[in-house]
This record gives sequence, structure tokens and C-alpha cells, in this order.
Amino acid sequence: MNTSSITALPGVELKSPGAGLITLDPVRTALLRGLDDLLTGLAARLSAPEVLGPPLLSVDGLARLDFFRNFPHLGVSAGRFGPDALDGLASGGSPQDLPLHPTGHVLPSATCYGLLLSLEGEDVGEDGLRLSASGRCFRNETHYDGLRRLWGFHMREVLYLGTKDGATEHQALGGEFVQEVAGRLGLTLTRAAADDPFYDNGGSRARLMALDPVKYEYSAPDGTAIASVNRHRNFFGERLGIRAGSHGPAYSSCVAFGVERWVHAMILAHGTAEQALERLRAAVTGS
Amino acid sequence: MDQVSAWLHEKNPGLDGPIGVDEDLIEARLIDSMDFLEFIDLLEEISGDSIDLQEVTIDDFRTLARVQERFLGSAGRAEVPAG
Repeated sequence: MNTSSITALPGVELKSPGAGLITLDPVRTALLRGLDDLLTGLAARLSAPEVLGPPLLSVDGLARLDFFRNFPHLGVSAGRFGPDALDGLASGGSPQDLPLHPTGHVLPSATCYGLLLSLEGEDVGEDGLRLSASGRCFRNETHYDGLRRLWGFHMREVLYLGTKDGATEHQALGGEFVQEVAGRLGLTLTRAAADDPFYDNGGSRARLMALDPVKYEYSAPDGTAIASVNRHRNFFGERLGIRAGSHGPAYSSCVAFGVERWVHAMILAHGTAEQALERLRAAVTGS
Repeated sequence: MDQVSAWLHEKNPGLDGPIGVDEDLIEARLIDSMDFLEFIDLLEEISGDSIDLQEVTIDDFRTLARVQERFLGSAGRAEVPAG
């Protein structure tokens, strides 16, 4: 396939609207779409139906999942201007310093939260349930760094809910898939226990995580984590009343891909975005 | 060990009956991750010894049998108030 014919953007510069915000050019967009297609192969392999989660999450729901206890700094709020501000705005006033009213919702910081909250009170059955989804996720960060650390990015996930053994197996199958796809793409990834950005790094959850890692990350040679496998024990099953038939509260685990980071890793490995796209297309066609 | 069982039941009010000595307290989340440090404090209080998290593994906390063996052995038991 001739990449230049569809990825040329002569004489035009796509400017960044701010820190952590990037408009992907055609080559990087093609990389992102192509990589996402390839990563969706995990869902096909595991027969996980594709769904689309909600674009906003209820703060009440997230609070029940201890999200704010663990990551109060990450949440990007969805606010709205109050009625008293609207006339001023409509007559051309600046929105810059106007207060925003809370809506009770935040933007997703991970794709699986919306899926889990949608399953509250359900019984996923003896055999469990898998769901696949991709969504844009948002996290307030202390600094931003190209495609490695964005304010908003695409996260593709395959979520499993069911038995304890099933959750462990899902993690293992996900890890195998990550390394297999990386191999096809010419990426060398290192697997290590994750160092999650808990607000309180000396806190109870962080200390237990250090003793018993429930999350492993797969990182490019420059340390950028591009995929992770996570298990949650029966935490979400208990908190949301999700059962796995006679097994009681469902155990869960998920496999997650930060798609922009896969673009970054491909460019890192193959020199330029154009060469990375050629390599991706070769991997897809098997040549 | 009675204090440990009492603490686990207090944290898990829905729990029926005794907890088996080989039941996996971590995977079943009878010790919730948010309560883990409180559990360490409890063991330190009962045993009279401090626990260095650099010198333990998760398996030391996984079952009541292991907790007894690792932290509440004969020395620790002697300090447990009767009753």
C-alpha cells in the first residue's frame, strides 16, 4: 500500500491547542487506527463482544469504587456554566474566569470503569463475561510529554468478570497476546509490576500492591508503559453486586492498551512515523 | 488469634461462621486493601513486635494458619491477653 498518497498533508501545520493536547497528523492517525485494529484481535481471540462505554461517569459511582480515595488528583471534571453566566457569555464575555458548576460527572480515566458501573447488580453466570471497548480517557497530570503522557488518550480494554481462576487466566492470555503482537510489530517490551500513581504512595492500598502486585505493565525500551494486565480480585464484584452464578461476587481482570503510547513505541522502534506505518502494514498483511 | 478473627468479622459483617485456617484472606479480600495497614497494626499490637514490610511476603498474610505461624508464634501467644 502506498502510504504517502493518503497521508500527505502539504503545507499545513496542525497546532497543539495546549499542553497534553495533540492533533494527530495523518500518518500518526493511520498508525493509531491500524494499531487499534490489531489490538482488537485480543477481543476476537477471546470472543469478547465490542461495546461502547459512556462518555461521562457519575462521581457517586466512582466514589463507590474508591476512585477518589486512590486517585483524587487524576479526575477531569465535567463542569457547566451556571445560568447567571450565560447572558454574559452570549454577549461575548470571556469564559476564562467564570466559575463552573459541578455536574456530578467526570470524564473517564479508564475505559473499564464505565463498563463495570453498567453491570451493577448483574449476574455474569458460571462461565463469566468478557467485554471489549475503547474510549478516550482523561487524566490530570503534573506534566505532559508528547504521545507518552497526554491529557486525553485512547484506551482499549478487554474486561473479564467471572471466577477467580478465570480472572487469572484472562491476565495470562492478555500478557501472551501483548508479547505476540509486540513481536509482530518489532517491539521489544519489558514486563514489570506496575508503579501506579496512587495519591498516597505510603497508604494501605499502595503498600499491599507492593507486596502483592495485581497489575503488570509492558514497557518500551524508554520506559513507556504501553499495555497492562490488571486483576481486581472480587473488589468490583462486591462493590457493585456483580455475581458469577454460584461462585458469588465476581472476580475481574482486564487487559489495557494505551493506543497513543503504542504509536510512540512504534516510532521509537522504527525511526520515523512513516517507517512505523510501513512496518505496521507489513505486520498486518503478514509480509 | 481470637482478636484476629474478631477483627476480620468486624470488617466483614456479612461473613457467616468461622474463617478456615487455610482460607485465602487476600484473594477473598477478607483483608481489604484499604485496611491492610490496620491489619499490620493489629498484628504488631498482639505480638508486641514491629513488622518490617521489607522483610515479609504476601504469603505471610494469606491464611490464618500462616499469620499464626509467622507473627503470633509461641512468643507472640504468650503476650496475648487471656480471654
